[in-house]
Amino acid sequence: MTKVIIDAGTSWSKILEISSKENFTSILLSANKNLHQYKIQEPQTFYDKDDKKYFGNLFLIPSTLAATLPVEFDNATGHMVKKRVKPNGLYENEVISLAYGAKKLIKSLKDATIVDIGSRDLKWVQFINGKYKDLDWNSSCGSVTGATVDMLCKFYNVDPNNISVQAEKIPVVCGVFAMEKIMDDISKNTPADIAIAKYLHGIAYNTWKFAKKPQKMYLSGGFCNNNCFIETLKLYCDVIPLGRYVLLGGLF
Amino acid sequence: MSTKKIIGIWGYPDPEILNEIKLKYPSLQIIDLDQNLNHPNTELIPDNCCKIIKNIVDNSIYLKNNIELIIASVGEEKCDAGRFAAKILKELGLNIIETKYNKPGSGNIKTPIATSDLPLKQKVLTIMDNIIIPVKQEFSFKKADYGFWGVPPNDISILDLFPDNTHVYGWTRCVEAGAPADLDLEVFVDENIPTVFYAQTFCAKMQLGKYLARKYNGLYLDVDDVASNSVKAKIEAFIRLG
Repeated sequence: MTKVIIDAGTSWSKILEISSKENFTSILLSANKNLHQYKIQEPQTFYDKDDKKYFGNLFLIPSTLAATLPVEFDNATGHMVKKRVKPNGLYENEVISLAYGAKKLIKSLKDATIVDIGSRDLKWVQFINGKYKDLDWNSSCGSVTGATVDMLCKFYNVDPNNISVQAEKIPVVCGVFAMEKIMDDISKNTPADIAIAKYLHGIAYNTWKFAKKPQKMYLSGGFCNNNCFIETLKLYCDVIPLGRYVLLGGLF
Repeated sequence: MSTKKIIGIWGYPDPEILNEIKLKYPSLQIIDLDQNLNHPNTELIPDNCCKIIKNIVDNSIYLKNNIELIIASVGEEKCDAGRFAAKILKELGLNIIETKYNKPGSGNIKTPIATSDLPLKQKVLTIMDNIIIPVKQEFSFKKADYGFWGVPPNDISILDLFPDNTHVYGWTRCVEAGAPADLDLEVFVDENIPTVFYAQTFCAKMQLGKYLARKYNGLYLDVDDVASNSVKAKIEAFIRLG
């Protein structure tokens, strides 16, 4: 039997279909052949929480496209898909998925703060001696996370892979004010990549502070692919990127 | 003869005065104006004001023509914002009777509703109803695995997220104890159980809630109007992971 599992983010949805059979028929590709372009080539084997092996296909697709798929999900997280879970399926909220995903991924999880930065929110869970200790989730100001950086890079035609760490940071207590500062900087002839890097520094600092200033942070989400962000965050703490599929892993 | 049908109250009116009014107006319905009755926003007070106070003002103005009088808590058992609301509403023509009730709790405080086996929402609503009409009912004790500290939330639905074995602490427990201004009782919690410390955003009790959550390793929450998905998820995660 094939299971379809989704972590539906605001901008991107991470979808995994798994089966105990190696050559299973893909429900997703049968539903929409264009999904081929969003298929992640590696890995192709996955393990559930009991370490049982599955074969599978992993997709990273725009959430606008995920919303059109004629599929009901076996396991899901992300409130946008709450009503698209099969009657006997499993829905978990994002914080719980993050906690379970991290536990599965970090085998020797003892003292750890795991932070997930989404398109528009920031959430974290802390474990001490392998037991849950604390958590928080900030989704009230959506202007200080991934989606804004994406938009800025597209608007100013900046390659996120070619941004270098800046010691100076743009304060991002409020995203709207931060945006004003970026534009102000650029109007004073600061190159766009420098201004965006300063903004990233502001986000990194806020992330660290919001997570109660841990010495080491396990990072989840799309920012794991942004080297400038990771290096900037390292100005404050050790950083171990876990990739953007942590919540998905917490669902099975 | 007056055709008005309602007595309004907020906070914890002095029981003696409340009883006198009940005897004087036996046929009038008593309404707790703290509650969110979904009446229109009068915009009389700033947006960044506690939602409970906004409820008081909006409910009072909307129901003005039906309200005979309001017994308004204006002492330590409520807050400065309640005192200011009383002043504003009095100036706007409502008949306000101000009461202060800062009687401390006795040493032997009994709170059978707060520690009962009722669902949490039912516990909190019963405690608040008990101000108006004393509940004459026996309650079965249930050992707590979780705690809820705070005032009755504007968005009362968040209490549905807690299991029945959740005890009530904070101001709501003080109300059941008949000691709504007893700060020592208000800060009391069972430090051995995971507790959610809740305050209305912009309420001075945010200060206590945040401090106590840190002290007892609980979850601090403040919510303005309706709880967002993330607030609900935090409560759910705290209960499931704790």
